[in-house]
Amino acid sequence: MAFDPEKGLVPARYNRRQLILGSGAALVAVALAACGSDDKTSSTQAPGATEAPGATAAPGTEAPSGTEAPSGTEAPAATEPAGGGKAGGILRVGTLGGANDIIDGQHIVGKSDIARQVTGWEPLLAFDPDFVPGYDNALAKDVTAKAADDFVVTLKDGIKFSDGNDVTADDVVYSFQRMLNKDEALYGGSVLRQVMDETGIIKVDDRTVEFKLLQGVSNFKEALCAYVCAIVPVGYKRFDGDPTTQIGTGPYMLKEFEVGKQSVHVKNPYYWDTGKPYFDEVHIIDFADGDAMINALLAGQIDVAGDIPAASAETVSSTDGYKVLNSAGGGWLTIAMAVDQEPFTDVRVRQAMRLIVDREAMVEQVLAGYGRVANDLYSPLDAAYIGDELPQRTRDIDAAKALLAEAGKSDLTIDLFAPNDTAGLPEMAQLFAENAKDAGITVNAQVIDGGTYWGDEYLKRTFATDYWGTRNFLLQVAASSLKDTAPYPDDHWPPEGSTFEQDYKDALAETDDAKRKVITDKMQKELYEEGGLIIPFFQNLLDAYSTKVVGLVERANTLNLDHYGRGWKNLYFSE
Amino acid sequence: MSNNRGVLLFIARRLALGVLTLFVVSLVVFAATQVLPSDPAQAILGRDANPTSVAALREKLGLQHSAYYQYTHWLKGIVTGDPGDSFNAQQPILDYIGDRVVNSLFLLVLASVVSIPLSLWLGGYSARKRDTAFDNVTSNTMLGLASLPEFVVGIILVLLFSVRVWHLLPAVSAIGIGQGPWSDMKGMVLPTATLVIGAVPYISRVVRASMIEVLESDYIEMARLKGAPEKVVLWRHALPNALGPVFQVIALNIAYFAAGVIVVEALFNYPGIGGALRDSVRVRDIPVIQFLVMVLAAVYVVTNLAADVATVLVTPRLRTRMQ
Repeated sequence: MAFDPEKGLVPARYNRRQLILGSGAALVAVALAACGSDDKTSSTQAPGATEAPGATAAPGTEAPSGTEAPSGTEAPAATEPAGGGKAGGILRVGTLGGANDIIDGQHIVGKSDIARQVTGWEPLLAFDPDFVPGYDNALAKDVTAKAADDFVVTLKDGIKFSDGNDVTADDVVYSFQRMLNKDEALYGGSVLRQVMDETGIIKVDDRTVEFKLLQGVSNFKEALCAYVCAIVPVGYKRFDGDPTTQIGTGPYMLKEFEVGKQSVHVKNPYYWDTGKPYFDEVHIIDFADGDAMINALLAGQIDVAGDIPAASAETVSSTDGYKVLNSAGGGWLTIAMAVDQEPFTDVRVRQAMRLIVDREAMVEQVLAGYGRVANDLYSPLDAAYIGDELPQRTRDIDAAKALLAEAGKSDLTIDLFAPNDTAGLPEMAQLFAENAKDAGITVNAQVIDGGTYWGDEYLKRTFATDYWGTRNFLLQVAASSLKDTAPYPDDHWPPEGSTFEQDYKDALAETDDAKRKVITDKMQKELYEEGGLIIPFFQNLLDAYSTKVVGLVERANTLNLDHYGRGWKNLYFSE
Repeated sequence: MSNNRGVLLFIARRLALGVLTLFVVSLVVFAATQVLPSDPAQAILGRDANPTSVAALREKLGLQHSAYYQYTHWLKGIVTGDPGDSFNAQQPILDYIGDRVVNSLFLLVLASVVSIPLSLWLGGYSARKRDTAFDNVTSNTMLGLASLPEFVVGIILVLLFSVRVWHLLPAVSAIGIGQGPWSDMKGMVLPTATLVIGAVPYISRVVRASMIEVLESDYIEMARLKGAPEKVVLWRHALPNALGPVFQVIALNIAYFAAGVIVVEALFNYPGIGGALRDSVRVRDIPVIQFLVMVLAAVYVVTNLAADVATVLVTPRLRTRMQ
């Protein structure tokens, strides 16, 4: 019996809660301030409800209110892709999935669900490659802020659903009503409910919808960029056996789906982005195991593989005809020191701990090299991020020892907790315990059962580990750095006497981008100097593909496979 | 007549023992999944748990009841053929993984159909050609293969036939939507071969040893002396007497297949119970885990039972002792 109760409970390296990048949680900024605990997870199917998006756009770069933003800057493509490729064929995609797969235009559980969701549905706005809310891959041609709590969305002309019906304001209203519906338990829902209710969704005319929010949300556009904040037709329901019900605006529409096995998607004949998509069909095939997925790729049974094991990257890149897509991501793991508990009430102890950690070694050993060294600040994809402008913190045992001696903690002994169900956290804790020996202190890495770890003691421990996706700085603050209101206050920040919370409120209310940047700079500097989080690295997104497939770009991203080729429409075969 | 009664009594006794074994297994399985170090609801919800969602899930899972009630309720479901609903898929377990059980059985049957005759022939022939070059080569090869775990065998086969040397066979199973594994026989080759390579060394070595022992016995010499042709000696006199131990090994190997498919299925992305077990463990789908473990335990018990009965039936000594 290959059933090991210890190993068996480790959910491979893919933790569902880590997958939920880019979900509707962008609104968290405001929402979390008042987030009731029962709203965090409305159903067991949606443990990632509060895991946030790749929402990282710089507030400073948002289009000025009231101006017509450029729409459709991409030239209409010819039926044959530019650059010598060939339209047609079947793209076979390998993803990690299994029996808990779903298809829903506004909800996901695992990575394979994301691959399918972006195939069939699109949001009102979408992040540009530089993480600014844009219109290129989205359904709105304009989003204008009449006030900080009042946004008007105008749909692009001529957009149709895959059944040929026009996308109208009614569909937008229904889509947001569905997300707000508590019973649907959709990712975006729990946070959307905090900033709007049904009465705030107002149809102005056939192509225009006005959102009157419950309070000012200066970064509402970023929320609209979340890929699960997608538009579905009136009456839409989750896949329940009949593929013809899965109507969306995306490049492909569902033809067949067998849960845990594969789905077949065919071209959406009414797709609005002229000339696209190129493939006749897309087959999304589930793999339980990353190594089997790599074998399938190298045997020519699939063309692209999303989220591959780091150990297989070398094999792929050394094989002719195959390439690795190694994209910078924004996800991170952290070691959190509770700033209101001994010994971390003393800022010198916190600073010492940040000097003890060997960041390069962690990237090598925890991420197999597929990541970047971080500087104890989060939100690297946010244009307001200053972690790369501040001096890179490096290992300095002498300085750490000096700080510990000053604080009278030279012989410190402390337990560092990690759960056994989240890949990376035990390794990080154990590595840190090793690092600490050099500074003369004793850190005991306590790797405990996941169920116990995330139970009553979670977020109460003095010294513990946690994981996060990537999100905008202010969203992340609301999620984890405000101890009284954040749902996950890892380090119990801010300490007594800090102005951090007031700064946060000021930043949220500040509509002038330059002025807001001044405030967020100050906040990040405070976290950098005195914060309770050790953030050793950011994780990369690692995929593999056959060189027959053209169009994948290696760039900073929140979703695998270059945002799944934006629903595969940007990809085509070279011949 | 009395002869038959003895055998029937024996079968009845073994059946009762098998049921008892399964009952003990059910206790262990239930205890293992229910008395894990933390609350199952908390374990399922993980980081995003909150008191409301944990309470709701506990109710859904029936955790508010006593362990005794939970166990008897579950056992009753298993016995009456209604193992309950998958927690994850929210539909009856049988609907949810019925296809996967069929797929795994198909792989198991295919591996057995290939490996058992092959082992009998290889073992029997080696016994007859004892200490010849053929025997030495096959014996050593079998010994070498027996020392390889099936995932190593599988990986080597994939590297050889799919990925690196030749591109002859698919590296993973590619069963289309709504189709059975028989629709992709090319994709069955490597998974089946992996299991066969895992099993043949064991069975053939036992066949060989058993055959040699029988061939050296007095009654074989007697048969030869009275002038019976070698074919008759082998098939009529030797083989039936050599089969007893072989049945035991075959039973062990079928049981081994049942567990081996879990590894092989992962390696070849084959949609069987191995994948289902893995998925259900990952999402803490406790009812499905319990059901699958019981199915695997039942395969063990039934094959061993069948082997014992078959052994008794082909062995006159054992059969007559029961009178």
